Amino acid sequence: MITFEHVAKRYPGGIQAVSDVNFHLERGELAFLTGHSGAGKSTLLRLIALLERPSRGQVLFDGRNVSKLARRHIPYLRRRIGVIFQDHRLLTDKRVFDNVALPLMIAGVSFGEIQRRVRAALDKVGLLDKETMYPPMLSGGEQQRVGIARAIIGRPPVVLADEPTGNLDPALSEELMNTFVQLNETGVTVLIASHDLELVRRLGRRVLVLSKGEIIDDVRARIEPRGGGAEGG
Amino acid sequence: MVVPKVARVRRSGREVQASSAGLRAWARRHAFSLFSSLGNLARHPLGSLMTVGVLAFALAVPLALQIALVNLERIGQQWERLDTLSVFLDLGLVNADVDRLVSRISSWPEVSTVDPISPEQGMDELSRQLGLTEAADLIAENPLPWVLEVSPGTTAGRNVLLARLEQEAKVANVIVDLQWLERLDAMTELLAQFVWLLGLLLALGVAVIIGNTVRLDIQNRREEIEVMALVGATAAFIRRPFLYTGLWYGLLGGLAAWMMVKSGLWLLAEPVSELSQTYAEEFDLLGPSPEVVALVGLGSGLLGLFASWIVVGQHLRQIDP
Repeated sequence: MITFEHVAKRYPGGIQAVSDVNFHLERGELAFLTGHSGAGKSTLLRLIALLERPSRGQVLFDGRNVSKLARRHIPYLRRRIGVIFQDHRLLTDKRVFDNVALPLMIAGVSFGEIQRRVRAALDKVGLLDKETMYPPMLSGGEQQRVGIARAIIGRPPVVLADEPTGNLDPALSEELMNTFVQLNETGVTVLIASHDLELVRRLGRRVLVLSKGEIIDDVRARIEPRGGGAEGG
Repeated sequence: MVVPKVARVRRSGREVQASSAGLRAWARRHAFSLFSSLGNLARHPLGSLMTVGVLAFALAVPLALQIALVNLERIGQQWERLDTLSVFLDLGLVNADVDRLVSRISSWPEVSTVDPISPEQGMDELSRQLGLTEAADLIAENPLPWVLEVSPGTTAGRNVLLARLEQEAKVANVIVDLQWLERLDAMTELLAQFVWLLGLLLALGVAVIIGNTVRLDIQNRREEIEVMALVGATAAFIRRPFLYTGLWYGLLGGLAAWMMVKSGLWLLAEPVSELSQTYAEEFDLLGPSPEVVALVGLGSGLLGLFASWIVVGQHLRQIDP
């Protein structure tokens, strides 16, 4: 589903965020991306959603090289990728319902359909009773789950999460990770950047270890990805 | 032979369905942009009102001047009918000659009225105008001729009348005093150009005001724009609410300017009718023509659209990778 070939990203000013990254993520796989802060985890995720363009190398998404994708095609790529940010990136002056509905409004889905799907997504993350609230009225964990609902509402084949458990206590973190596991079981390819090594180890999935802009270790999953077996590559 | 035909029919049927669904999605996206832009104006009523107010003032000035100009031209046209020909007769005519001439000219179809001015009356008028009460005393013999003030019946017949009068015996020369009318024409011409220039400048001002307002709006909603781009909004989708905002500002500004001018006219109606009564004439202010109102309204709307187009394009380039 996602392939990196000798990908490097150098920011203007000479900061080398990613120097030579190679890996392949199967369709329906769930993998973690770990490493110290500043190792290039966020940059790697941003390169997939084309929030950044690589300076060198190729990023393949579903077999297509997205590094050379024309600007006008970028929105359609992003609709196929649900991104969850550590700082949520929610619109604070819009209700939870409108935040989650945004990707569908952009796609021009009818209002009845939007209502149905937003309710379903909020139900999935356990926030159905909070739909008329504004994000600042919610706790950090709830805001994060609103972000997840927004990321999955468009039924994207790939979900990327950047430190989703960053500010949460261990119990909440585990609960959130289970949400991702459940999501993965429906066939969605999931890549989660996290520095919570303890939790990552306990889940027993594939782990990519990033250090100084390179992948230094690729720990195979102890559990076979359930979604991946059926769909193949 | 049959199978491909069926397949083709099915395919075209699906295409029609897909394109009509696409059209509906397009309409929904537009409706979303439209309502979100209106909602945004309504969310900050004071700021929106102030912007519309500034635009209204900027648009009302050229609109008011244009109305003043139109009315001035109308007055000029009314006055043009009042012009008279001054017919200077030969010196040394006796009163009987003059009387005969007056009655003859009065019977001409081109002539409306004939008003004879004797040399004595002329001298009186002249000395009064010059402020010399004793002018007549200083000059031993009155050098002025008899003058006939002839009003033409129609403006069009003036030149025919002029030629006929000049051929008349005992007529020394005929003076058509149109100079002041020509001056008025030149002045209104100048004013018209001034109105155009001012209109152009203020239209530019309107574009700048709307552009700047939309720019501030974009800065305030930068986060929202970024999030929309993150979840797959196209540049056109992001741009659209701001374009609508520019359009609304322009249209509302035009509407407010029109209402301002209308109420100004209403306030002036009474004094104008009082003034026209002192001139013993019926005159009331003519309001802006529908064409001008449409030009101001649509023009400022389009200006708003144009200005926000430029500003949004520039900012989107800054935000996007």
